[in-house]
Amino acid sequence: MSTVFYYAAIFTVSSMLVSMLSLSRSSSVRQSIPFFVSLAALLLSLTLTLFKMLNYLSAPSPIYTNLFHEDFLAYFFALTVLLVSLFVVLSSRNYMWGERNLAVYFSLLLFSTLGMVLLSFAADLLMIVVAWELMSIPTYVLAGLRKSDPFSNEASVKYFLLGAFSSGILLYAISLTYGLTGTTNLNAVLQNLQQLPNPLDPIAILMLALYIAGFGLKMSVVPFHMWIPDAYEGAPTTISAFLSAGTKKAGFVVAIRVFVVALPFLSVNWTTAFAILALATMTLGNIAALTQRSVSRMLAYSSIAQAGYLLIGFAVASGPAKTLGLIGVLFHVFNHAVMQSAAFLAVAAVDRAIGKVGLDSFASLWRRMPITALSLAVALLALAGIPPLNGFWSKLVLFTAAIQGDMAWLAVAAVLNSALSLGYYAWVIKRMYIDEPTGLGAQSKIREPTLISAVLLIATAITIVVGIYPSLIYDLAKAAVLAYQ
Amino acid sequence: MDTPILSLLIFIPIVGAVVVYLLGRLRERLCEVASLTLTVVVLALSLYLYSSIFTSNQGASFTFIEGPYHWLGGFGVDYYLGVDGLSASLILISAFLSVLVVLGSWDLITEKKPIYYFLILLFEGSIIGVFCSLNLILFYVFWEIVLIPMFFFIGVWGGPRRKYAAMKFLIFTYVGSVIMLLGFILIYLFTAPNTFNIPELVGKIPFWVQLLATVATFVGFGVKLPVVPFHTWLPDAHVEAPAPISVFLAGLLLKMGGYGFIRVNLGLLADASRQYAWVFIIFGILTMFYGALVAMIQRDLKRMIALTSINHMGFVLLGSFAGISASTAQGAIYGISGAIFQMFNHAAAIGILFMLSGYIHEQAGTRNIDELKGLRSGMPKTALTLILGSLAGMSVPMYSSFLSEWMVILSAISVNTWYALAVLIPLLTVAYFLWMIKRTVLSPLPQHTHYHDLPNRAMFALLLYLVPLFLLLVFPSLILGVVDPLSSALFQAVGGGG
Repeated sequence: MSTVFYYAAIFTVSSMLVSMLSLSRSSSVRQSIPFFVSLAALLLSLTLTLFKMLNYLSAPSPIYTNLFHEDFLAYFFALTVLLVSLFVVLSSRNYMWGERNLAVYFSLLLFSTLGMVLLSFAADLLMIVVAWELMSIPTYVLAGLRKSDPFSNEASVKYFLLGAFSSGILLYAISLTYGLTGTTNLNAVLQNLQQLPNPLDPIAILMLALYIAGFGLKMSVVPFHMWIPDAYEGAPTTISAFLSAGTKKAGFVVAIRVFVVALPFLSVNWTTAFAILALATMTLGNIAALTQRSVSRMLAYSSIAQAGYLLIGFAVASGPAKTLGLIGVLFHVFNHAVMQSAAFLAVAAVDRAIGKVGLDSFASLWRRMPITALSLAVALLALAGIPPLNGFWSKLVLFTAAIQGDMAWLAVAAVLNSALSLGYYAWVIKRMYIDEPTGLGAQSKIREPTLISAVLLIATAITIVVGIYPSLIYDLAKAAVLAYQ
Repeated sequence: MDTPILSLLIFIPIVGAVVVYLLGRLRERLCEVASLTLTVVVLALSLYLYSSIFTSNQGASFTFIEGPYHWLGGFGVDYYLGVDGLSASLILISAFLSVLVVLGSWDLITEKKPIYYFLILLFEGSIIGVFCSLNLILFYVFWEIVLIPMFFFIGVWGGPRRKYAAMKFLIFTYVGSVIMLLGFILIYLFTAPNTFNIPELVGKIPFWVQLLATVATFVGFGVKLPVVPFHTWLPDAHVEAPAPISVFLAGLLLKMGGYGFIRVNLGLLADASRQYAWVFIIFGILTMFYGALVAMIQRDLKRMIALTSINHMGFVLLGSFAGISASTAQGAIYGISGAIFQMFNHAAAIGILFMLSGYIHEQAGTRNIDELKGLRSGMPKTALTLILGSLAGMSVPMYSSFLSEWMVILSAISVNTWYALAVLIPLLTVAYFLWMIKRTVLSPLPQHTHYHDLPNRAMFALLLYLVPLFLLLVFPSLILGVVDPLSSALFQAVGGGG
């Protein structure tokens, strides 16, 4: 039976169960059981994914159906998003402790995770829309979970409006695709597009623009990034981690499926567009991040900038550097998921322990919360691309791909951006390790939330291990890309 | 090779750093003793390494090779180590300075000791890694790891403007490094065997790639050396860093720039270097003049020494590029060996001066040259050490620093008589050092001023810096025997000498 079915079964059953628990009268049941059920579901599906990946590596056996492509690319992304969900669920146990509607929270998280997993496998435009909505709609609610907090409300409304807009654009693009090719299956789209008399057909160009806009809103591509900082700042911080490390990555996997697989015939049109978008996204993200005074906003802009680096992989995807570029995208997607969730969850720990995430909370943090400070510092250095941490290697692959794909200017811009980004990453590190504590009681040690600390330590370990032994993930990414061609 | 001696040199300090940190959590004294022990072990190993290269006369080629072992398979990134004369001498000086820095830190560093010694050892391990990597990416990885301890050294243990200085240091050097990385990627992509391994790249890089890569590496190495337009981080970093860290900065971190120029520009990008050597030479002379003239007007003793360091490192740039563009093998050997010799001498000479400025600041409460008066009668032992150290800074013919500057100038003149301008530099240097000594040592002691003199142990540790300088004046072949074959090999590789 198809693997996708197992995922669907695990997540549907568990999230239904969790949401029914919200009806329970016992507050301990409402508080604890949803967490354990979600944890079990995630661990089960992670095990399934790893098992399938190992099987696949020993004997490649992709299964192609009309709706799903069960290939290594899909497993790779499924692994990444499941890991992020696991981090988020574990941290939520500490971060959301004592909040209302916990059962709803966990059940929505599971539904959204299922959406991301389905998206990794989806190979039909209609399936993509269904999975896309399954991923998105729960996150609109999750961003606004704190009903009485105006920031959370603002985040939710803004995110919902733009998210709905992006779904609309996406549907429009899909309808144009159907009009041009008469099918929604990605492989069939590829075949039919090759018979298109004129590759510069205005409808095809409009379709591309709409796809870029629709996916771009999730992938946080400039100029579709406006909602990101507000949403990440207002939403519960664990959800910010989920959005930036999880759902954004799902945007990238669909973009790979649609652009690289279905529309290579039109690549002349979209590669230049992606190169310009990559430049704009990383530059704007980094410059805006430099001026932020709140760490979560800074991380939001940094997340935008990182999307810019990822777009390099798309920009070179039609030339000789296609393979290397895609490997770079996959590698960086994994690394970014780990680094970014570590960074956001460290902020969540500070939020939980100190109660506010202004910059003052971070002054001399290493005395108060040594594990959190260390993990945040490692995550930020990795995001900046300092070796020997994982972020360095994937950036190296992406930059090399840019030069190989005759886009040396893009590599130069990316390298300068990388240097620029250290300005604000190092600034937070300086805040945590060098600045004197400010305010009363800012010297005292704080008990760090146990589970968040555990997650942070795991993420830091992955960051360092992949940094020292990059082949671990690089080879998987390479297998995923090579299996795809 | 049976024992992976280079890996040991790198990983004894790095792994030892964790042990030292844990010991320090138990008792602070333990981590001081443990780090001294570790650095002495590394010194012994590097002496063994050096002497075996010296006796077997293998300075020109890579020995003690480890690897290449695949690191990032299919991407040309290998774990590949090896040493030649250049690396061996720089590894030796790194190990030597690390021992002295640990000794010097016993008195001067009083807080957060475990993490301090952790970072010292991390720094030592990674800088040795820089000096023996034969893969450009491995080189880059170690190159960048060095930044992190230095950032914290300046930022946590530094002076009043430490935050500014630490950020400035980090951003300047990081920008330089990433531009250098672009150059490496360029070399990798456009050379026939797609590889980052230095020995396989020698002589295979097309000329246009060499030119572009030279621009990129000039920024990367130039920031570290530093070459004049990229130098502004250095005085700030030095002034704010604690004295032992200034020794690391000037003695080792700057050497990374010089090492990079000789290993990459002279070794890999040799044709471009030979053709455009005059650009580098002009930058070198500019750097020397700038360092000397600006040092002259400084009031802060430490800032003056920092600028002396810029002045001295200009000789490295001048020597290496005068050597590569020389017309005779003799001129080339004088230039390149002189540059390497100069790095060795500068590390020792600047080390004693920086440590002294740290002690003087601690005892007298100021480093302002105008306020330090009457050291001769106030703190005679300090005054004596200061004079001995200044003589090393001035490169008078009682230390080997005289020899290296002489070799460099000789080589420069052999290339173009106009480069004889460089003779003025030692003159300027002597002038401002003597003026400083006149104001601090030879002035009358103001009334009601009471200084504490140097403790004997500290004076002993300081004089240790001068030992190699004496020794190498008498036996310069101890270094030159190892680097001369390398210099002539580099020269022959660009088709010079016939």
